[in-house]
Amino acid sequence: MSKIGVFICHCGTNISSTVDVEELTKYAKQLNQVVVSKNYKYMCSENGAKLIRDSIKKHNLTSIVIAACSPRMHEHTFRKVAEEAGLNPFNVEIANIREQCSWVHDDMKSATEKAEALIRAAVAKAQLLEPLKKTKISVTPKAMVIGGGIAGIQASLNLAEEGFQVYLVEKEPSIGGRMAQLDKTFPTLDCSSCILTPKMMEVLNHPKIELLTYSEIIDVNGTIGNYKVKIRKKPRYIDTDKCTGCGECANACRMKNRIPNEFDMKLGKRSAVYIPFPQAIPLKYTIDPNNCLMLTRGKCGDKPACKEACTQNAIDFNQKEENIEKEVGAIIVATGYDLMDPSAIHEYGYTKSKDIITTLELERLINSSGPTSGEILRPSDQKKPRSITFILCVGSRDETQHPWCCRIGCMTALKHVYLLKEKLGEDVEINICYTDIRSYGKGYEEFYRKIRGITKTNFFRGRPSEVRNMQDHLKIDIFDTMTNKLFEIKTDMVVLVPALLPRSDTAELAKKLHISQSIDGFLLEAHPKLRPMDTSTDGIFIAGCCQGPKDIQDTVSHASGAAAQATVLLSKKELEIEPLIAVVNEDTCSGCGICVSVCSYNAIELIKKEKNGKEVLQAKVNEALCKGCGLCSSACPSGSIQQQGFKDKQLLPMIDEIL
Amino acid sequence: MSITDLTSMAGSQTQLRIEINKRLSNLQNETSDYCFQCAKCTSGCEAHKLLELEPHKIVALLKKGLIDEMVNSDIIWTCIGCYKCWERCPQKVAPVQILYTLKNMAVANGKQIPGKYTSMLQSILSIGLIQDIQEAPTYDNKTKKRDALGLPPLSKPTDPQKFQMNLTKIAVEKI
Repeated sequence: MSKIGVFICHCGTNISSTVDVEELTKYAKQLNQVVVSKNYKYMCSENGAKLIRDSIKKHNLTSIVIAACSPRMHEHTFRKVAEEAGLNPFNVEIANIREQCSWVHDDMKSATEKAEALIRAAVAKAQLLEPLKKTKISVTPKAMVIGGGIAGIQASLNLAEEGFQVYLVEKEPSIGGRMAQLDKTFPTLDCSSCILTPKMMEVLNHPKIELLTYSEIIDVNGTIGNYKVKIRKKPRYIDTDKCTGCGECANACRMKNRIPNEFDMKLGKRSAVYIPFPQAIPLKYTIDPNNCLMLTRGKCGDKPACKEACTQNAIDFNQKEENIEKEVGAIIVATGYDLMDPSAIHEYGYTKSKDIITTLELERLINSSGPTSGEILRPSDQKKPRSITFILCVGSRDETQHPWCCRIGCMTALKHVYLLKEKLGEDVEINICYTDIRSYGKGYEEFYRKIRGITKTNFFRGRPSEVRNMQDHLKIDIFDTMTNKLFEIKTDMVVLVPALLPRSDTAELAKKLHISQSIDGFLLEAHPKLRPMDTSTDGIFIAGCCQGPKDIQDTVSHASGAAAQATVLLSKKELEIEPLIAVVNEDTCSGCGICVSVCSYNAIELIKKEKNGKEVLQAKVNEALCKGCGLCSSACPSGSIQQQGFKDKQLLPMIDEIL
Repeated sequence: MSITDLTSMAGSQTQLRIEINKRLSNLQNETSDYCFQCAKCTSGCEAHKLLELEPHKIVALLKKGLIDEMVNSDIIWTCIGCYKCWERCPQKVAPVQILYTLKNMAVANGKQIPGKYTSMLQSILSIGLIQDIQEAPTYDNKTKKRDALGLPPLSKPTDPQKFQMNLTKIAVEKI
């Protein structure tokens, strides 16, 4: 016979304005095995906790039911309260009468009836709760950071400085990411590589950071504190121990200046053996297997030119890809963003004219290590443009493309106005077609004002309907809603500011890591306000634009936050894990293996066992891997695998009570 | 509480606005309430250059409930129905459908239809087309015969009387 206490929360007026809490308290009191029933304005407050603790002690309660908000919110709080009063923390059952009742109904009478049903069900389960024991696991004090952009660099350095071993995995031949492609940063106009390369050097030289460039994640197994990550190291066809980065190979390459350089947004050309940019880290060359004559045709003249040129004998066409495995306690995902391909909005003619470019392409044109060595030349005829027009929100705030704001487009365009005026003279005409200018950050509004004051800078509040290619120039019609007039703009170049998207392979990576994406495809944080660096999977954190569009300062803050969250975990020697996991009834399990096939976490295996003198197969749950999702228990045909705290015999009476 | 246009002293027709939005929701993807006045519609409006139609302003007036002003205005009859405003709208609003609705309301209110419309109506009733187009203008303002462009001749109703009857029936039901 259990002794149950029911504690009903008003949640200010969140619950009590739609649910009659006094009535509910009286109702709960007369339920089977309930010995005490109380209500309080804020059950999660210290006074509320005291009320619960005192009642547990006074009435020798064996289980408690908390009728309040979602268990996602405060289950942990109330388990702690129970534990403090000497009750097993798993003898706590939550009846969610806020999200699932008061918030979604407005009729007091029927809402109270529903709350009664929810409490009735919770009490039925509370009668059958069993005390559970938490298990302890050790923590591997190492971290993996996926993505070597500014977010990944920042997080790695923070963790390494804390003394933890870090593996920084980057799929490109060099770290640096998007920030390395930028010329200057807003609003301070710092040279992007001047502030980035010292950090890249620090990563390279840090004794606690192992750089795994040109590498990809294949598979992730394990759980918080102990992850096993399989990584594919792609062959560079260069012995990195021998390569000095002298560049003689690239100079000699027969494909020199023939392959579009991805780093320059394909505006510049590179060799088949290349480094993406001069400040690449590590400064080791890579042979592009899709364009190298030797690797595609097996023949490159009489002898591969790069091999001839290399004095260090570093070229190795026999290199094979290598799979390695690393064990870490925490993982930080920092995979960054892609720009939307603006050809999706065909009326802006991105594919129709070479002179219609994106902001990242302009960034490479402005950059002194870019394809034009920093000279602004119109791509079609290599002449200096006298008029440049920006179109903002291309594919952003657009229900036919991407509904969100890219958060950096306005400031990027304003920055470019400044840089273009600096390079081409104040005389160059710059037009900006915008829907709103969002200059929300520190020093941003001041920067916007400064740009407005530059002569021959025209702002049009509106979106052009189309960009027309008139052969020697481009033509735009735009209705300016500030003057209520339709303008025709004839311009030499058009710069589109495209939407920011998660990297195209985000879904694939999310699946490997068992983390979720939000509806926009970015990685989903555990809570949008309070846990923006955590994911729904413990021990995996997110940093930077993989979570959503961010500028550099927000990215750096986010990454340091993610590193701090990981540090909290890694600095623990041992972790307590929740016992809400699957257990197998060995007497009835027939070893059919259905549970093994449905488990998303590879937490169940079939093992051979001796039973009545015969060798039989049986399911076995790995406690550290099981997440308690319940898939196995709903799939098991004989009910032999059950989830602790959610057993059939505990759940079915709840349903009976509600029906 | 009320909203008044101080130039015309007209009040906001809230109820009518809700009714129109309801009618539009059957035709378009999103209600006009989502319009953020980027004016991409007007930037590309074919009727704007000659006839000063500003589709974004039509949406703005609808959002403010100033509906009579539009129903009584001749400007709504200038829309040529190219549908660019709807196709290119980043918020999936359909100014062209608002204009059709307003035109229907004007007819239902017994408002005089512009003369050209009557002749177009006659043409539609007899041959199913606004006019007997056998030539097509190109982007660079040249006129070419349909067959020179490899286009088939336009088909016409086989039974004009039956066609006329059905069309009239649909038109009456719509209004």
